[in-house]
Amino acid sequence: MALIEVENLKLYFMTRRGPAKAVDNIGFSIEKRETLGLIGESGCGKTTTAMSLMKFIKPPGQIVDGSIRFMGKDIVPMTDEQIRQLRGKEISIVRQEAQNALNPVLTIGKQITEMILEHESVTRETALARAKKQLNLVGINDQRINSYPHEFSGGMKQRVMAAIATACNPKFLILDEPTTGLDVVVQRQILMMLRNLKEELNLTAVFISHDLSVVAETCDRVAVMYAGKIMEASDAVSLYKTPLHPYSKALIGAYPSLKGERRQLKSIPGVPPSLIDPPPGCRFAPRCELAQDICIQEEPAVNTIDGRHVACHMVK
Amino acid sequence: MNHNTVLKIENLKQYFPLRTGMFASLFKKEQSYLRAVDDISFSVAEREILGFVGESGCGKSTLSRTILKLLEPTGGKIHFKGTRVDAMSRKQFKPFRRKMQMIFQDPFGSLNPRRTVSEILRQTIKIHHLVEDRDAEDALIRKTLEEVGLNPVEEYWNKYPMLLSGGQLQRVSIGRVLVLQPEFVIADESVSMLDVSVRIGILDLLFKMRDKYGISFIYITHDLVTARYICDRIAIMYLGKILEIGPTETIINHPCHPYTRALIAAVPVPDPTAEIQELPIRGYIPITPDDTMDSCNFAPRCLERKKECRSGKPQMVQVGEGHFAACLLVDGDQCRDNRE
Repeated sequence: MALIEVENLKLYFMTRRGPAKAVDNIGFSIEKRETLGLIGESGCGKTTTAMSLMKFIKPPGQIVDGSIRFMGKDIVPMTDEQIRQLRGKEISIVRQEAQNALNPVLTIGKQITEMILEHESVTRETALARAKKQLNLVGINDQRINSYPHEFSGGMKQRVMAAIATACNPKFLILDEPTTGLDVVVQRQILMMLRNLKEELNLTAVFISHDLSVVAETCDRVAVMYAGKIMEASDAVSLYKTPLHPYSKALIGAYPSLKGERRQLKSIPGVPPSLIDPPPGCRFAPRCELAQDICIQEEPAVNTIDGRHVACHMVK
Repeated sequence: MNHNTVLKIENLKQYFPLRTGMFASLFKKEQSYLRAVDDISFSVAEREILGFVGESGCGKSTLSRTILKLLEPTGGKIHFKGTRVDAMSRKQFKPFRRKMQMIFQDPFGSLNPRRTVSEILRQTIKIHHLVEDRDAEDALIRKTLEEVGLNPVEEYWNKYPMLLSGGQLQRVSIGRVLVLQPEFVIADESVSMLDVSVRIGILDLLFKMRDKYGISFIYITHDLVTARYICDRIAIMYLGKILEIGPTETIINHPCHPYTRALIAAVPVPDPTAEIQELPIRGYIPITPDDTMDSCNFAPRCLERKKECRSGKPQMVQVGEGHFAACLLVDGDQCRDNRE
């Protein structure tokens, strides 16, 4: 059984001009110990999707339809109190801006033990010992347990965030652009650390990024999102080698690489559509080179080809 | 390539005095400095795009601000088309300001939110007295917007920045620079806030400006990947110094300096089958570089360091055709050996 199963999820933001369909009828599942990558342009709904897995949805955002099953149990109808039991304990998150996520007036030791004490009935000493173990796990000397966040660099703060997120041995970890804004050298160090953490703790994860190369290095399967829809979901190797959906092709075609020949790249013309009033057919049709009449009129269904899921009229 | 030099920088320095505590300043006579740009020399040829790549805090943005005299240099010379500009007063420098321009990183922050696209360009035209009357202004704005790919112009004319996407905003900032017909432009992280799908469009626009108007560029970035796409030459910076400079493909495929090799190894590749190697670098970039250090700046993080790296400052040596590196362990022959 998959650890996470999402079906027909619709998450709308109720604005004055009508509902903005940030996530519109998507479905995917994540197997145990697998890492799923979510990629797409800004505003495509990848972060909203990930936040819904923890029900971090604030009004005017609202789950309109669908189910999110975590270990077989649907979390959509759960009460706030029930979901609080899961957050941090079973499902945890590492966010993009570590600087802003840490409390500047508490030592990092305090912030790690806070998490443990909140979810488990252990003594302060045990919690402190575990916090030290966590710090070693993410590659920080445990003597720094009484340091404040401002004494750490950006990369180190991201390590502290990972230590907090995994303090209660969660089963599922949401990584929301964990390396965006970090230098390449630090980024590589953080990615290595996350990889070790995943091995050590048998984690299942979803990795959100707009950086195709980071996703290529970290994920087993990848879902490409566009304007609130999943365009293609496939194992990482075949997606990068032979993208099926025209949008995946365009995205990969726009991505420069340091390895191999210097090649001509093509940007994708146009801008993503409005989520309040999306085009009636395929949402990518207005920017798609292959678009036919049917693409503009009819929304494509998800086809499964060799275990890969594609939503495009032109791919059979 | 044409070898007319547009910009020549000699021994440029930008030091910021460090504030010390009361006791330290009582007992220590010497003022200590943060050497953001430390004795840098290079030149940019006509129609050339020179990239400066380095991690945050390496001084690449300070370098660009110093070249454009947004900061007064501590020392060194800046020649623009044969004229020395570093010692000029603001007034003397004003005509040069039109010729030397900058495209900033954050298009959301660098455009006035209370002016429409056409007003933003009109303001620039007015400040520099580019044309006589309003009709000519309109025509120039129209031509510029078309030039930077904001078509049809009517659609953007009366729009406020908040209604445009990041890529479109960056095109407006490029238009604002282009309208002045500059000869030299510094693009400081100009695509790093944009989505991958629009980045290439902006970079291609820079190419077009180079090819059509013969503009020379300095492209400043932390991203080697886009630098490879756009630059003719790349300079690698670390703690205020250039460690290696050379033609783009040479730097990427045959890096000579250990730091360049580490940077290249750290860049992720969009290929899930690629093997991930251990990084050939240790530690972190120091928060305040030690200004008393008279050894190689990179030595504390270098895996290849030897005894002599702690005792002398490396000089730039030529290691290939137009390829220079500052490393005590590298002499011309040795780097050639690495390539084979």
